Amino acid sequence: MAEKLLSQHNLTGETVKAGDFVEARIDGLMCHYHAWDPMYDMPAEFGFTGGLPRVWDRERVFVLVDHHQPALSQKLADENARTRREVNRLGIKCFYDAEPGIAHQMVADYGLVRPGELVVGLDSHTISYGALNVGSTGFSRADILYALLFGELWFQVPPSIKVILNGYQPNYPIAKDIILYLAGKYGEDFAGSMSIEYSGSLVSQLSIDSRMCLSAHGVEVGAKYAIFPCDGKTRDFLKGRTDKPYEPLTPDANAVYEKEITLDVDNMPFVVAKPNQFGNVCPVNDVVGIKVDQAQIGSCANGRYEDIEIAARALKGRRVAKGVRFIISPASQQVYLRSVKDGLVETLLEAGAQVVTPGCGICQPKVGFLSDGEVCISATTRNYKGRKGSLNADIYLGGPLTVTAAAVAGKIVNPKEVFNEL
Amino acid sequence: MSFDLNRLIRGRVWKFGDSIDTDSINPYYLYPTMEELKKHTMEAYRPEFPKEVKPGDILVAGRNFGCGSSRPGLVLREVGIAAIVVETASRLFLRNNIARAIPIFMAPGITGIVNDGDVLEVDYPKVVARNPATGASVALRKFPSLIERIFKAGGLPHVARERYIAEAGR
Ligand code: SF4
Repeated sequence: MAEKLLSQHNLTGETVKAGDFVEARIDGLMCHYHAWDPMYDMPAEFGFTGGLPRVWDRERVFVLVDHHQPALSQKLADENARTRREVNRLGIKCFYDAEPGIAHQMVADYGLVRPGELVVGLDSHTISYGALNVGSTGFSRADILYALLFGELWFQVPPSIKVILNGYQPNYPIAKDIILYLAGKYGEDFAGSMSIEYSGSLVSQLSIDSRMCLSAHGVEVGAKYAIFPCDGKTRDFLKGRTDKPYEPLTPDANAVYEKEITLDVDNMPFVVAKPNQFGNVCPVNDVVGIKVDQAQIGSCANGRYEDIEIAARALKGRRVAKGVRFIISPASQQVYLRSVKDGLVETLLEAGAQVVTPGCGICQPKVGFLSDGEVCISATTRNYKGRKGSLNADIYLGGPLTVTAAAVAGKIVNPKEVFNEL
Repeated sequence: MSFDLNRLIRGRVWKFGDSIDTDSINPYYLYPTMEELKKHTMEAYRPEFPKEVKPGDILVAGRNFGCGSSRPGLVLREVGIAAIVVETASRLFLRNNIARAIPIFMAPGITGIVNDGDVLEVDYPKVVARNPATGASVALRKFPSLIERIFKAGGLPHVARERYIAEAGR
């Protein structure tokens, strides 16, 4: 599908193959809170006095002031103000400002991207829109500067890797376990610079939330794109969010794949990534008993409705262990509102969890820093050293159910032992 | 700053492992200014690095260098790293460095021919990296002309400006 995507968008109109370099036209460009840099500071540094002179299309640039909403410091408040100024100066139409949330979830919530499109963004998890059959990926600020001006960019056509997921979806989300399991088994760069195409009997059972988790984590396994087929669930999701027509990407019958990987999820254990690397994965049973100080659910990987729903369902009638800080951050206002309306937030609060403003805070050292020697288990994107402050704190990654189980037990456990009803 | 791909680079090696992440290269959440970053870059893996790195040193690493967030290696250039030579780089880190004309080279096998502290020669015109002490060498990946042009211009923003001026003048 990547060859098709980049052939269709190639400026010369020629058909391209994996490995080729092309200059291509883009359909959309996402900038988060850091928009001020490619719009003003960097162009000024490189001789555009007064900042970027224009954007190529005011309707196709999306700016979302995420990451630090409400502003967490004076510096961030000032940066957000600069982004506001640049957006007004350049006349950008699509601007989400006074609203907390993670850009990638908001792009989906507001129907800004559609199947078959080529989208670039100023953040590594721009790849998330692959869940909606979009060829999207993250770029550097300098690349974004170029794309903002011309609506074009250079690409190398990636080879494709087919990931076939078979089996049945249990009554709790398993997307995080799937991607961690694959990273553990095949190495955390198993899809390095490749385009993942998801297929198999599980795919049609996966919710859009689960697909977004898998697509977002494409970047943790090195991928450039992580694309799901467009099916009834995709179309249902987009209904009411976009009225623009779209043409989904489909693989050709004779498509060539660099690799094929098959996973039968029915035989997959619960897994966690141990500290510091995404691919440092083991079955949860290997690390049971490790005491946790903090548990978290959120980020562009796991801050979605189904992640919060499973935490609430599992916590119903139970309590977070004494002394454990269980922090949940919905990925967007829409996710938050739905969680409130459905009573999930009440259940979480009653059980002793903390619900914090939607956004990136708990994924970075911004909300909920760790101290030396502390242990955190997290359904967020990354567990690199220092990701939550101290270089001497340990971060484990797990699915939302595994994290909730640890929050209840006060230590890492197999979720099956805590939640025998599941 | 333009980077001349035709220049031979010779320097002392700092050698790192696989999957070194951008949080440790550029821990800007913790240290937002360049002055602070320079004091903390790579300390998650080598606490002595920020103190002991010298201008002209070369950074060698294994697979998947620069995985994680989108952050360029500007701080590495600021502390004097003359070239980054890796088995493989994460796509976004590679792209970030090309866009800012920071010399980064893919050299499969590189970690097998140099040890920490050795001298390494990076000879892009001959597309080879060699350890002069042992004579061992590995091939560098040649960039397509599109990327060589970005290095020559000193980064993609310069290419953008040249194009913008050329089009405006038409
Ligand atoms: S939630 Fe974390 S990984 Fe996702 S965009 Fe925000 S900071 Fe990045």
